[in-house]
Amino acid sequence: MAHVLAEGLKFRHQDTPIHSLDPRIKLLMSVMLFSVALVSDGPYQLAVTFAAIAVPTTLARSLRRMGRVVVVSLTFAAFILVVNILVGYPLLKSLSITLRFIAIVAATSLFFVTTSPDELEYVMRWFRLPRDFVFAFVTAVRFVPVLMLDLTQIIDAQKSRGLELDKGGPIKRLRNLVPVLIPLIVNALIRSGELAEAMESRGYGAVKKPTSLHELRLWGRDYAALMITVGAWSGILFAFRYYIGVV
Amino acid sequence: MAIIEFDNVSFRQPSGVMALKDVSLSIEKGEVVAIVGGNGAGKTTLLKHLNGLLKPSSGSVKIFGRDTRDQSVAELSKKIGLVFQNSDHQLFSETAEAEVLFGLRNFGFSEEEAAKRANEVFSYFGLDGLRQRAPLTLSGGEKKRLCIAAVMAWNPEVLVLDEPTVGQDFPSKNRIFATVKQLVAARKTVIVVSHDLEFIWPLNARTVVMNRGQVVADGDPQRIFADGRLLEDAGLRQPQLVALSKLFGRDASFKDVNDASEWLANR
Amino acid sequence: MVDEILSFEDFTFKYAGLNAPTLRNVTFSLKKGEIAVLAGASGSGKTTLLRSINGLIPHMYPGEYSGKVVVDGRLVADTPTYEMASKIGFLFQNPENQIFMFTVERDIAFGLENLGVDRKEIARRVDWALKLLDIEDLRQRSPSELSDGQKQRVAIAGALAMGPELLVLDEPTSLLDPRTAHDVVNLVKRLNVELGLTVLLVEHRLELVAPVADKLIILADGRIWKQGDPQEVLNAEGIHEVGLSAPTVVELQRQLRSRGRWSQRIKLSVDEFYLEASKAWP
Repeated sequence: MAHVLAEGLKFRHQDTPIHSLDPRIKLLMSVMLFSVALVSDGPYQLAVTFAAIAVPTTLARSLRRMGRVVVVSLTFAAFILVVNILVGYPLLKSLSITLRFIAIVAATSLFFVTTSPDELEYVMRWFRLPRDFVFAFVTAVRFVPVLMLDLTQIIDAQKSRGLELDKGGPIKRLRNLVPVLIPLIVNALIRSGELAEAMESRGYGAVKKPTSLHELRLWGRDYAALMITVGAWSGILFAFRYYIGVV
Repeated sequence: MAIIEFDNVSFRQPSGVMALKDVSLSIEKGEVVAIVGGNGAGKTTLLKHLNGLLKPSSGSVKIFGRDTRDQSVAELSKKIGLVFQNSDHQLFSETAEAEVLFGLRNFGFSEEEAAKRANEVFSYFGLDGLRQRAPLTLSGGEKKRLCIAAVMAWNPEVLVLDEPTVGQDFPSKNRIFATVKQLVAARKTVIVVSHDLEFIWPLNARTVVMNRGQVVADGDPQRIFADGRLLEDAGLRQPQLVALSKLFGRDASFKDVNDASEWLANR
Repeated sequence: MVDEILSFEDFTFKYAGLNAPTLRNVTFSLKKGEIAVLAGASGSGKTTLLRSINGLIPHMYPGEYSGKVVVDGRLVADTPTYEMASKIGFLFQNPENQIFMFTVERDIAFGLENLGVDRKEIARRVDWALKLLDIEDLRQRSPSELSDGQKQRVAIAGALAMGPELLVLDEPTSLLDPRTAHDVVNLVKRLNVELGLTVLLVEHRLELVAPVADKLIILADGRIWKQGDPQEVLNAEGIHEVGLSAPTVVELQRQLRSRGRWSQRIKLSVDEFYLEASKAWP
C-alpha cells in the first residue's frame, strides 16, 4: 500500500499544459483547491470542488495517478467516517467531512504529481527558505529511490538466510524487521557520511548566496493560468457563500 | 545427477526489460561453475532464480528435481546458500557469532545444534579470533569470509558467491580464493559469479558466459577464455596469462606464472 | 618548486580518538601534468592521505597533524575545504554518493552554484563538461536511471566543471565491471593529455593502471614503502608482503629475470612485453 502511495506521489514527466507551468503557479493552484476543499460542505459544494480538481487533473493527463492516490486515502477516510459517526455527527455530515478529506488529499497531490523535485527546489529557494534546509530536503528526496533499492537488496539477502517476513504473530513480525532495518540505517548513515565529504569537496558553503543555473520565469501561459486560477477561486467561493448553500 | 536445471527460462522485469532470455543450464552435484559477464548481463538475476527470490516469467527452474514455484525462498535457501555481493546488506548483529546463529535459528536448528555448527564453521574458516567482534567493525575481507561462514553453517549443498572479489584487496582475494578451493575440495557444489577473470582463471572451472540476458558460451575454460572476441563482446577482459599464451601461439593457455616462465625460459 | 602542484613534506597524522598515527612521515610530490598512482592494501592509509589533500583532514577530521601538505603553493591546513574545491577535483569511490541533484545538468552545476559563479558562466561550463565527458545526451536524465559507468562520468564532469588543475580519484573502478573500468582509466588518460590535468589515482588493481602511470607510490602501514618509476617499483622485491600484487605480466618478467632470461626493462602491459619478447627470441 505504501508502495502505491509512493508511486502516486512520484513525479513523472509529461508534456501537458499543466506540467509546463511555472511551479509557483502550480503551487497556487493546489493551494486554491485545498482551501476550497477545506470550506466545502454539503453535496453541491463538494461536487463543485471535485469538478474543480478534476479539470486541471484531466489537463495534466493524471486522472489514473490521482485515482490511485484517492484509493489509498480511502482507508484513512473510512477511519475518519467511523470516528465522526461514533462521536455523534449525523451520517450526512460525517460523509461530508470524509469527502472533504479526500478532496484535500487530491488537491495536494496535484502539485506533487505535476511538479518535479527539481522545480520544487526552485520554489523553496524562491521562498527564501534557508539554503541548508532546502539542500537537505532535496538530497533526501533524491536518495529515496536509492534507499528503496538498498531495502530490496537487504530483504533479498536476509530472506536468503531464512528470514520469513510474512510469517508469525505481530511481535515476531516486528522482531523480524530488525535484520532489515539495521543494515538499512547503517548504510544510510554511511552514505550520508560520504555525501558530506562530497559536498565539502564541491565547495558547499563557499559563498553565502549560491547562484543558480536556471531561474524561474513567468511566461504568457503562466499569467493566463494565474488569472484563471484566481478567477475560479473567487468565483467558487462567492458561489458557495451566496448561491450553493448547504443542504 | 543434475541438481539445478534451468529450462528455457526467461524473466521480464517490472520495467519491461527482458533480464533473462531463454536460458537453459544444468548443473550437477559437486560441480564448480563460474558464471561470468559484465554488469547488466543478467548474472544476478540468474542467481536470484536459484533460491526462488525470483520466479521465471516463462520456462522453469528445478532444484533437486522440484520446480522453484512450488517452494518458498526459505525452503530453497536451505539447499542453496547465496552470498551476495554487498556484505553490508546483511550484517546486523552485535557479534560475529550471533550473525552465524541467525541463519541457523531461522532454519530451525535447535540451540545446541546451532552452537555446535557455529563452532565448527568458525574454526573451519579460520575465523575463531573474530567470534566476539562486532561485524560492522571488521575489514572488508573479514566481512566477506564471515558471510560465507554464516551461510555454510547450515551446510547447504550448493554455495553461490555473487561477485566475491569486488572491492577486495589482493590479500583478501587470496583468502577468498583459498576458501573457495577449500569448499571445492570438500566436494560442495560451488557457483562463483564474477567479472574478475583473473580471479576465475586459476579455478579452472566450467565457465558460463552471459551477455545481455543470454548464455553465450558454456564449457571448457581453456576454450572459452581463449576466445578474445567473445570475452570483449561480453564486456570482459581476457586474463593476462591467456592473452600471452595466444600471442605466443600456444594452443593451451598458461595455468599460472610458473607455467609461463618455465615455458618461456626454455625457448 | 614552481613545477610542483602537490607536495607532502614529512606528513604525519593521527585521528583524534585513535591510538596510533594512520600516516607517518609521508613525503612525495607531484609535478604538473603527471599521472601518479597511489596503491596500498586496505588499511594502509590511502583514504587518509587523500583526505589530507583537499582539506577534509584537518577541517572535517581533526587530529594530530604535523608536517606540511601544499597544493599549488597553498598550505592545505590553512585553507578552508571550499577554497580547495576549485583547485582540486575529488572523485570518491561510489559515484552514487556524490551526485546530489535530480538531473545530470543540475548536478554538474552544483559546484559552480556553490562557488557563486554567475549564471552564464555556469551554463557555459556545464555545456563544456557534458561535451568533454561525452554525456550530452544525458543532460536531462535523472541520476538514478543511469548505469554505474554513466554515473561515474557525471561525477567526473561535476568535478571538472569547477576548473581544477589536480584531479584526485579514490578507487574509481572498484565497483565497475572490466570494460567500464578500462574506459574510465582511458578517460582519465585522455583528460590528462587534453587538459594537462595532473592526476592522482588510487587503485590497487595495478594491471589496470600501470600502463598509464608516470609515477607509482606504494603505501604500507601508513608509510611510503616505495615510490618512483612504475617499472622500478613493480620490480622491487617484497611487493606481496605489502599486500599488493604486480600485474601478471610483470611477475612473469621478474621470474624470467631470476632465471637469467630477461635483462630488458620491465614492460607493464602484455602487448609491450610480447613485442619485446619477440625481438629477443625471434
